[in-house]
Amino acid sequence: MPDHAIETEGLTKVFRASFSGRELRACDNISIRVPVGSTFGLLGPNGAGKTTFVKMLLSCTHPTAGRALVFGQDSRHPAARRPIGYLPENHRFPTYMTGRDMLDFYGALSGMDAAARHKRIPEVLNLVGLDDRAHNLRLGKYSKGMLQRVGLAQAIIHGPKLLVLDEPGDGVDPVGRKHIREILHSLEQQGVTIFLNSHLLSEVELFCREVAIIQKGRLALSGRVDELTAGSGYRIESEHVPEALETELRSRARSFISNNGTLQVLFASRTDANQAVDLLRSNGCEVESLARTRSTLEDVFMKTVEGPEAAKQ
Amino acid sequence: MNITIALVRDTFREAFARKIFWGFFGCCTLNLLFLMFIMRIDVVQGAIATVSVFGQNGRSIPVQNMVPQAQSVIAMILYFMGMALAVFASAGLVAAVVEPGRIELLLSKPVSRTHLLMGRYIGNLLVVAANIIYLIAGSWIIFGIKTNVWGVGFLVSSLFTIFIFAVLLSILVLVGVLWDSSAVAIMITFAIMFLTPILAQKNTIEKLLSSEWSRNLLRFFYYVLPKTSDISVIIRHVILNQPVESWMPVWSTAIFGIVVLFLGLWRFQRRSF
Repeated sequence: MPDHAIETEGLTKVFRASFSGRELRACDNISIRVPVGSTFGLLGPNGAGKTTFVKMLLSCTHPTAGRALVFGQDSRHPAARRPIGYLPENHRFPTYMTGRDMLDFYGALSGMDAAARHKRIPEVLNLVGLDDRAHNLRLGKYSKGMLQRVGLAQAIIHGPKLLVLDEPGDGVDPVGRKHIREILHSLEQQGVTIFLNSHLLSEVELFCREVAIIQKGRLALSGRVDELTAGSGYRIESEHVPEALETELRSRARSFISNNGTLQVLFASRTDANQAVDLLRSNGCEVESLARTRSTLEDVFMKTVEGPEAAKQ
Repeated sequence: MNITIALVRDTFREAFARKIFWGFFGCCTLNLLFLMFIMRIDVVQGAIATVSVFGQNGRSIPVQNMVPQAQSVIAMILYFMGMALAVFASAGLVAAVVEPGRIELLLSKPVSRTHLLMGRYIGNLLVVAANIIYLIAGSWIIFGIKTNVWGVGFLVSSLFTIFIFAVLLSILVLVGVLWDSSAVAIMITFAIMFLTPILAQKNTIEKLLSSEWSRNLLRFFYYVLPKTSDISVIIRHVILNQPVESWMPVWSTAIFGIVVLFLGLWRFQRRSF
């Protein structure tokens, strides 16, 4: 069993315009490793090359250079795609099919026999929250949220070991998103590797343990979410701080919030934080809390995509 | 096999949903009802038939001549009109597969691209073939019951009609995967269909051409493109139980179909979606 569910080596895609010959480097030398059983988020602004990367991973788009391995096998080989479940962005499911027909069709293409499909179809449709009435309803009558759910159902029907989801929460209400997240958590606990491509940074932060950020076709950043969001600052909260001391602390702090007698001060270093604690204690003020600060994934994303100034705004 | 069946079933489902199958089936059924109830054939002493349509009596002719002639008329109508309708209806079925949002999901499955496209090709062919067989076999049975003439030439003609559709479908596949456009696919296929009867007059046209290179060009197009017109003549000969002078139109058309289908598959293999 390979250590990595996904491994790309120098994956590059250059599109050339037919007449002008102009080149567009959609993905440029991207090397990513996604460990088996992990939850991995792929982030990037619009047009960064995320979807092209996913398409190369699934062999929908042929790379100009490099290669993509899925569980150690080149994804261009049909057999390598057997353990993959995929929910595309902007999908166009055949509207003439019912939910049941659709799962039957894609289940068969995924290599399931008729008996297995017959048993599994109602299970997964119920799992994604589609009731009995929806099972036999044509997809043309489905709402956007229902289509996302049936799309997720087709992605998991054959029990994939790797789930590639492109904007799974698109068009789904918050309750539905929470439900989808719960399903994904349960799959994660079963050892399924989940590769999430999403614009919703909060969703990715809530769900993924590792992320990569693509910017202008290049891999700009990758790592564990907890490491990337671990900030270097310290936040102290205190109450009824004398005005002179508050002024003194403000002058040393990176930022502060004063509200109804409560002061929250953020210090850049541990030394500054310790000195502030000493000052507060020596002035007889109680320290309500002292904690190391964390950045949000959005801060990390903005800093990576638009530079450090963007994150401060 | 499981996958091929799923792909063929999907094509049938789509043909049903787009009313393509039922459109063909309705036209064929109307033809059969016409033969069954409107056209009366009175056979006298098992040799002379009088055909009447809407109660108007025609002339009496030997039944052994009349039946193949009538069958060849039906076969020609099906061959030219039916093919035009089939091409028109099928173009959308091929282009639908490469629609963005649909093709990505199909390609992500553990199925080779050749298998995917061939599954759709076979499904599309079967949709049209089922209706051709329904019309020809139905007409053959009605003629047989009414006249007791059971010549198999008419039945064999269905194979030629299916064959020529298979060749035209390969053009639709190639154009469909090249440009994703059912409109362009129809235009090119129709252009070839309407060009070939002109090319079939090769011997006459050659006399009108002054330069050798233009004659060579004419011969090139004649030998390379499918010979729908020449094959219609072969069908007529087969139904009328007459000897076929040359099978070249059939095998050269088959080569054209195979090459075009191969090019379509090759392009589909190499294309990024």
